[in-house]
Amino acid sequence: MPSYIVAGLYAMCIAGIYGVLYYFNHKTPVPKGCEDLKANCEGCNISSCELHPVHENKEDLNA
Amino acid sequence: MTEIFALFVSSVLINNIILSRFLGICPFLGVSKKLDSAFGMGLAVIFVIFGASLMSYGLYYLVLVPLGIEYMKLITFILVIATFVQFTEMFIKKYIPSLYKSLGIYLPLITTNCAVLQVALDNIANEYDFINMIVYSIAVPVGFMTVLVLFATIRERLDASDVPNAFKGNPIALVVAAILALAFSAFAGLV
Repeated sequence: MPSYIVAGLYAMCIAGIYGVLYYFNHKTPVPKGCEDLKANCEGCNISSCELHPVHENKEDLNA
Repeated sequence: MTEIFALFVSSVLINNIILSRFLGICPFLGVSKKLDSAFGMGLAVIFVIFGASLMSYGLYYLVLVPLGIEYMKLITFILVIATFVQFTEMFIKKYIPSLYKSLGIYLPLITTNCAVLQVALDNIANEYDFINMIVYSIAVPVGFMTVLVLFATIRERLDASDVPNAFKGNPIALVVAAILALAFSAFAGLV
């Protein structure tokens, strides 16, 4: 079998495992008392990070 | 034995992943304001780097090399790290809620920590055997945690000190990091 087909199948397999675990992780209920955990992160310049304080401001504006 | 000890000491102190290679700067600046946060992040990084390195090393030599697709290592390692973080988060959420309370919030942040990927790539690039890989995968995050905790203690004191307005926040933190990097460079004569 050509190498690129093996590589494609392999990549799909690994991505599939990631997808399954991502799904199950999000289905797993958060333990009691941990519903509103916030990291004490002051923020670097990477605003795409979900912990960046800029997202809190957006949520406040939407509320 | 001497070689392993030298690898450990050099990875923790001399070639520190933050201070000499400038990797993992985002959590270094973002999660170093409080000592307990820095400690939690450090523990989570040790766990994730060790686990992800073990898995990526195994996959490279047991799957990629026999199949002749070594060029897939980058995408493999990225997915292995992301998968490992998802699995770890799910596991501790379900079985160790107390640990989730202290570390859970940092796990998604670690997925984007470039230090994790670098350790996995270093293990292959440096052609480490299994023992050296284990030592390196423990030593690098230990060095990360050491510097993070050290830096957090300094930043807690900085909050109470009289810093000029223009230097408050990240600027003074970066100045301190530079001094810390100079101090750590003195360990170069150790090994």
